[in-house]
Amino acid sequence: MGSEARWARYATVIVSLLVGAAVWEVAGRYTSDAFWATLSSTLRSLFDLLHSGVLMRQVASSFQLYLSGLSLAILVGAPAGMLLARVRWLRVALENYIMMLYATPMVALIPFILSMMGFGFAPKVLVVFLFAVFPILYNTVEGARSIRPELIEVAQSFRSSEWRLWFDVMIPYTLPFTMTGIRQAIARGLVGMVAAEFFLSPSGLGQMIMMGSQNFDTAGMLAAILIIVLLGVGLMDLGRYIENRFAAWRGYKP
Amino acid sequence: MTAQTVAAARSPVPDAERSSWVTSPLFLKIAAGIVLLLIWEGVVRAFAPGYVAKPSGIVRVFAAVISDRQFLSAAGQTLSAVLIGLLISIVFGTAVGFAMGRINVVERGLRYYVNSLFATPMIAILPLVTLWFGYNADARLAVVVFAAFFSISTNACDGARSVPLEYLEVAQSFRARPFQTLFDIIFPSSLPYLLAGLRLAAGRALVGAVVAEFFVSIPGLGYYILYNSRTFKHNEAFIAVIVLVAVGVSFEALINWLTRRYLPWARRD
Repeated sequence: MGSEARWARYATVIVSLLVGAAVWEVAGRYTSDAFWATLSSTLRSLFDLLHSGVLMRQVASSFQLYLSGLSLAILVGAPAGMLLARVRWLRVALENYIMMLYATPMVALIPFILSMMGFGFAPKVLVVFLFAVFPILYNTVEGARSIRPELIEVAQSFRSSEWRLWFDVMIPYTLPFTMTGIRQAIARGLVGMVAAEFFLSPSGLGQMIMMGSQNFDTAGMLAAILIIVLLGVGLMDLGRYIENRFAAWRGYKP
Repeated sequence: MTAQTVAAARSPVPDAERSSWVTSPLFLKIAAGIVLLLIWEGVVRAFAPGYVAKPSGIVRVFAAVISDRQFLSAAGQTLSAVLIGLLISIVFGTAVGFAMGRINVVERGLRYYVNSLFATPMIAILPLVTLWFGYNADARLAVVVFAAFFSISTNACDGARSVPLEYLEVAQSFRARPFQTLFDIIFPSSLPYLLAGLRLAAGRALVGAVVAEFFVSIPGLGYYILYNSRTFKHNEAFIAVIVLVAVGVSFEALINWLTRRYLPWARRD
């Protein structure tokens, strides 16, 4: 690939973005307003929301929910996963149930949470937490299954204390797997956030989308969806970065 | 799996202890299951109101719900929507993914759209989809397709790009037609990627179907859960959750089995 190829790559990307923008605009012009809004009106709506401070307020509210649930999931999932890594009988006993909960579509539990805990901040955090915690737990336990017993044996024969064993063997070995779990949790937590904002007490970006659809304000709805798309892309890149940052530690796996 | 058996064989457990039935994995797993159920039952009895689902209540209503015509038709509708949506996504998602993986212009043109929609929680477009399709089963199918499509197409794209160059060169020197190259080389070679994509897509499709039923209120397992939990019949509603979990887990197991049985050459991570 020479400089010509590089130039061509940029050109096609720019053309593709321009074509996308044009299709969006034209689709908005030739369909009913309730169906699809033009790009220009969406951007205008986005600008208004930004200008009036509504957007920042709603994004902040969504982030508060998302980060509370996600950090709770990390704080519970990672230590619990590492404990299961160390205590073999506990891991053998629980790993199938963790796998089952990992495969469970957690949205199905939202109506139960709604009727037991009602509207408020705590049930919404619980939803984000449930979406995010099992990928972390599952991947940490999967990592623990592949931990090489020699590592622990060597540490033990050098009379390593339990404390040093954790910090020098267990944590460094399982952390890359935990990071894979956190990458998945970042994505699932976002789904949980939107689901909680839709089906529990409406707030944040979910409420913006809902209100847009109820008021037939398609431009406002598309503006909120656009923000969620950008958030999703940004968070996915962040998750990949975190995972790759620790992936090198897996190095000697055959 | 192999890592586990190796670990078990090498673990420094004395022989006497290992042969004891108390430490056998099966006993541990069953015991843990019973303990978890007892904790659930105890906590609900002690702290929660009577309507909250608990194991004894679920067992009591299980037979009645599972033979209930309304429940069975709800399960059938949800699962058929998921299956049809997955089939549509497999056909079109693979086609788009292969085109992106093998044709540079297509890849550059679609990359940003496919990647960003892959990262988007598809729940967010639910209100938009109901505007397009109305409050009916089509909206559910559309959400399932949107949820599943992009994980299949991104994986198909990765798979098509990972085809070893030698295979393509051999095909070319034997004057294989493009059609033959596609079906005899690119498709089989990217099967592990397609299965990985399908596993992801199936989970997302299930979530999409349930969420669409919550939102649109059409008969299905999601609506069954919503309706019964609103009328404080949590035990009945929970059986629908059990069915969803069973479907999710068996799909995961099916894909793992397919990969091991038919694609043993695929790199496993």
